[in-house]
Amino acid sequence: MTWSDEELVTRSIGGDADSFNQLVLRWERPIYALAYRVIGREEDARDVCQETFLRAFRALNGFRGQAKFSSWLYRIALNLCRDWVRRERRTPIVQASEEIDLMEMAAVREPSASIEDLVARKELTRIVERAMARLPEEQRTAIILKEYHELTFQEIADLVGCPLSTVKTRLYQGLAVLRRELAKSEFKSES
Amino acid sequence: MIETMCTYSGRDDLLIAYLYDDIEPADRVTFSAHLAACGRCSRELADLRGVRTTLSVWTPPEPALSHEPRATSPERAATSAERRATGRSWHDVPAWAQVAAAILVLGVSIGIANIDVRHDSAGWTVRTGWWNAPATLTSGSAASEVRPAAQPSVAAGSPAPWRADLAALERQLRTEFHAVPARAVPVAGGISDAELQRRVDAVLEEWERRQQRELALRVAEVLKDVNAQRQADLVKIDRSLGFIQSSTYGEQMKQREVVNYLLKVSQKQ
Repeated sequence: MTWSDEELVTRSIGGDADSFNQLVLRWERPIYALAYRVIGREEDARDVCQETFLRAFRALNGFRGQAKFSSWLYRIALNLCRDWVRRERRTPIVQASEEIDLMEMAAVREPSASIEDLVARKELTRIVERAMARLPEEQRTAIILKEYHELTFQEIADLVGCPLSTVKTRLYQGLAVLRRELAKSEFKSES
Repeated sequence: MIETMCTYSGRDDLLIAYLYDDIEPADRVTFSAHLAACGRCSRELADLRGVRTTLSVWTPPEPALSHEPRATSPERAATSAERRATGRSWHDVPAWAQVAAAILVLGVSIGIANIDVRHDSAGWTVRTGWWNAPATLTSGSAASEVRPAAQPSVAAGSPAPWRADLAALERQLRTEFHAVPARAVPVAGGISDAELQRRVDAVLEEWERRQQRELALRVAEVLKDVNAQRQADLVKIDRSLGFIQSSTYGEQMKQREVVNYLLKVSQKQ
């Protein structure tokens, strides 16, 4: 039987450790992905992910179910990411290697993918990471939450604590910047 | 080319809402109509869709969360976090240290288990536990502590090792013998004297048979031990005799050489 997040939370509060394990298994990848895209460092993203669940576990009794459990988790993770950025006083660092290891790519590629495709994809990923790193934190967070986590505008607004229209504005401005940055990169690569 | 301005009210917000399909149905209808007429908005929408397509290639590296994969319980997560904080893990320990630790654990385990490995005339014998201690033979539960007849006898070197076993057997039989009437008492009320007599006889016969069988086994075991000891003694005697013979022969040869030398010397003089 598949329990909902809220049911698992109730069971966890009742002392069922396995229920919390299920919540972790269900949400660890999204939380890690969020942290990685905001922070840009794999190791630190893992730490943030783990810390998020630790804090969630400790504060589980205080979870009243007013918001979705996932929103609650996202809020914890985003706060931790924000702390990290402030502590480190730096923008996300693009971790992608400048060198493209063809042997490694050949080893992990899918049978249908050619090396050329993989190289192009990796290069594009690097361009996207760099463009995202140039965005202000608010715009980057809004795009990440909307684009990769498919939250509604209202959920993002609740999460980051700003009006709905502000979320849309941040998204529009962020996407506009990305559009220019990506166009510049394409121009560079073509020339 | 001159870019025309679009003055549609709330255009940017609606464009984003339309792009992500997170828009009120009424707004969707009206904005769709606007897009059909506005080249700037439709071009920008197409560009933003292109940006979204490009963004979709950005996937985080496969999380190495699997290093504590099933370790998702808060307790384990806490442990893992502490481990990362201290920068140490089991994998950090060198291989030689792990091997040494394993050997140490094995040694301690053997010591605790009191493993006794012997090789005698009956072959290799491996024993564990503390049953060899004399206390076990004098404990109340002798029945469970009497070793099977097939097992080799008690450690070599102890005087008359079978005596302790025989003593334990005797105690066991006495216990069983005393237990028989106690078990028969409740039954006695419901059967005749003849039947009771028959049952008592049967029990006694059974007891005698068992005693004889046990005695035969013990005697056989003792004989086996005696024979093994005899064989070992014979081998020892044989070796000793061989040594004496060889040394005697050596002495004889030396004496013969000395005599020959003396004879040669005396003949020269």
